[in-house]
Amino acid sequence: MTLQLQHVTKKYKDFTAVNDLNFTIEKGEIFGLIGQNGAGKTTTFRMILDLQETTAGTITWDGQPVNTINRDILGYLPEERGIFPTMKVEEQLYFFGELRGMKRAELKKDIDFWIQRFELEEKRKDKAETLSKGNQQKVQLIASFIHKPKFLILDEPFSGLDPVNKDLLKDAILLLKEQGTTILFSSHQMDNVEELCDHLCLLKRGASLFSGSLLDLKKQYGKTKLAVRTGWSTTQLLALEGVKDVRVEKEQTVLMLEDERYAQSIFEQLSNGKYIEKFSLDYLSLDEIFKDKVGGNVVEV
Amino acid sequence: MSKFNLLMMQLYKSKFKSKSFILMTCLYVLLMSVAIFWSDIKALFTGEDEAQQIAIVNETSAELSGIFVSNGDIAFIQDEQDVAALEKRVEDGKLDAIVRVSDQEGQLHAEIATFVPLKLNDQTTLSSLLQYAGQHYAVQQLSLSPEQAAQIMSAQTIISTKNLNEASTGGKSEEEKQSGLWVSYGIGILIYFFISTFLSMITTEIASEKGSRAMEMLLASVKPATHFKAKIAGVLLLALTQMGIIVAAFLLYAKFVKDGVIWNAAATIIKELSISYVIYAVVFLLLTIILYLIVGALFGSLVSKVEEAGQVLMPAMMVTLIGFYVMLSGIGNPDTILIKVFSYIPFTSGMVMPMRIGATDIGGMVPMLSLGILIATIVVVYLFSLSFYKRSVLTYSTGGVIQKIKTVLKVTT
Repeated sequence: MTLQLQHVTKKYKDFTAVNDLNFTIEKGEIFGLIGQNGAGKTTTFRMILDLQETTAGTITWDGQPVNTINRDILGYLPEERGIFPTMKVEEQLYFFGELRGMKRAELKKDIDFWIQRFELEEKRKDKAETLSKGNQQKVQLIASFIHKPKFLILDEPFSGLDPVNKDLLKDAILLLKEQGTTILFSSHQMDNVEELCDHLCLLKRGASLFSGSLLDLKKQYGKTKLAVRTGWSTTQLLALEGVKDVRVEKEQTVLMLEDERYAQSIFEQLSNGKYIEKFSLDYLSLDEIFKDKVGGNVVEV
Repeated sequence: MSKFNLLMMQLYKSKFKSKSFILMTCLYVLLMSVAIFWSDIKALFTGEDEAQQIAIVNETSAELSGIFVSNGDIAFIQDEQDVAALEKRVEDGKLDAIVRVSDQEGQLHAEIATFVPLKLNDQTTLSSLLQYAGQHYAVQQLSLSPEQAAQIMSAQTIISTKNLNEASTGGKSEEEKQSGLWVSYGIGILIYFFISTFLSMITTEIASEKGSRAMEMLLASVKPATHFKAKIAGVLLLALTQMGIIVAAFLLYAKFVKDGVIWNAAATIIKELSISYVIYAVVFLLLTIILYLIVGALFGSLVSKVEEAGQVLMPAMMVTLIGFYVMLSGIGNPDTILIKVFSYIPFTSGMVMPMRIGATDIGGMVPMLSLGILIATIVVVYLFSLSFYKRSVLTYSTGGVIQKIKTVLKVTT
């Protein structure tokens, strides 16, 4: 059960939305598709869902072209929030479940379970339009996987949710993973991606900048982020060998190193054989890698 | 249930329960009730009116009292002579008018004296009575025998038609054409109302699904073609339901109200029109609605949100209006070239062709040809819409209709 994209390209008359995209998602893993707005994430999803045709390349699920498989094994949460405004919450879930070929009786248990889990018990008889935006999103989310899809696509599932609901959603995603669902999701909130994803693909203007495991991506940059607490001035720190950039934060100063290997000599100079309050060398966060990769100065890897 | 049925029934149920559908259906039944009980309703409003009191002062020697017969609206007081006393009574409001009939050079002269002008309706009645009295008077002056006079007064031309074309079975009589005209008028109005209602229903339905972005959720599980067909079928089913309710209400009225007078009248009209006319009318009605539903679905897929639905509905509504007015023009004269042309155009033929079939003498080929054009158009429009719908239904764009079509073509080819 794998999803494979090979040389997938989507060209319109005057621009290319997706250019030669390649990645593979293994069964049961969570895969993140990351990029700025307009990077081609939604177009990619639509091509996987056969809502748009590819200009070139192939998309296969378990070796079968996606436009020949049974659509009911897929689940999709679109980026734009959309449910039937005048339909009751519970009816909405039954409707989408039945549309995916489930019987009402089969659906009841799952609907009860998820309604309770997402704290919608009091709203189940309410019309969707009377719900808050966050609650509508939860309803739509349940609707996207109520039929237990083998493969679930979530387009920006976290946007618009408060921290409590974000945690509910994260738990739900992990539970679905446990049950064997393969999940592809997009986000521009990197902390969520970092927490959930096994593998990811970085997109910039339709082209893939990186595709692989999160750790591999981080290793490419190495441990080049050094946080210290010291009396040295910014100018002094910048003068140190191997320091690319210095950023003063509230409680600490962050040095960006050209390479991991400079860290030891910097430690020796800063501590000078004495006690030092903070000296912490770490990988870059995904957020920083993303900004570095997408924000113009592309470091070739 | 298949996905098609599920989508269709979801649309059908939600619209069937909607206030607008219930109100519209009630309105149709109410209108029909008003038409059927019109005479009773009229009596209810006018029954309390007292008859106008009009005195006739006949100053000629001729016998005219047989002409001025009192009815519910006017009560005539005959053989009065004292004009001054009568005028006093008019001024007091006890009498509404005095009609003085006198001789003026062999012609009848009538003078109507009132204090408050007469109502239009009474004026018209009085004028025609006086006109008749004038002719009567003139005849009496010729000193003819009563039989001769009666013959002149009741003279009428007897008209019969003879068909010299042995190949055809002869044209329709005037009565047949008249009833054909009025029934076609009714059908035209029905088609017009049905199209307006259900065209905007399907367009706003699809536009609102697109606008609320439920469309993407739906299209992830059903193919656009299935969605398109289910929407058309759902609205069509609803239209049939509404027609069914109206027909059922009519049959109930016809059977149980006014001792079956309506039933008999309807049966006579259908007999006069022939069964093939009824079949044609129903087929044209259904096919025209289907054609407009396909177009409506396509239009709904073009707009980005429900607020923009009016923008695309306008052109289609204009076309129905044109058809409607062409049909109206046919009531005066159903044989014009205008009617002939529009009876072949697919979007208007449903309204115009039944009129030609019912009220003019045309062979069997003409309606068949028009029907053929309509069916061919439906097939072509359906196939085109189906392929275009797949591309337009997930494309969101701004601007006018032309701009939207351009955007669809640009981002999907």
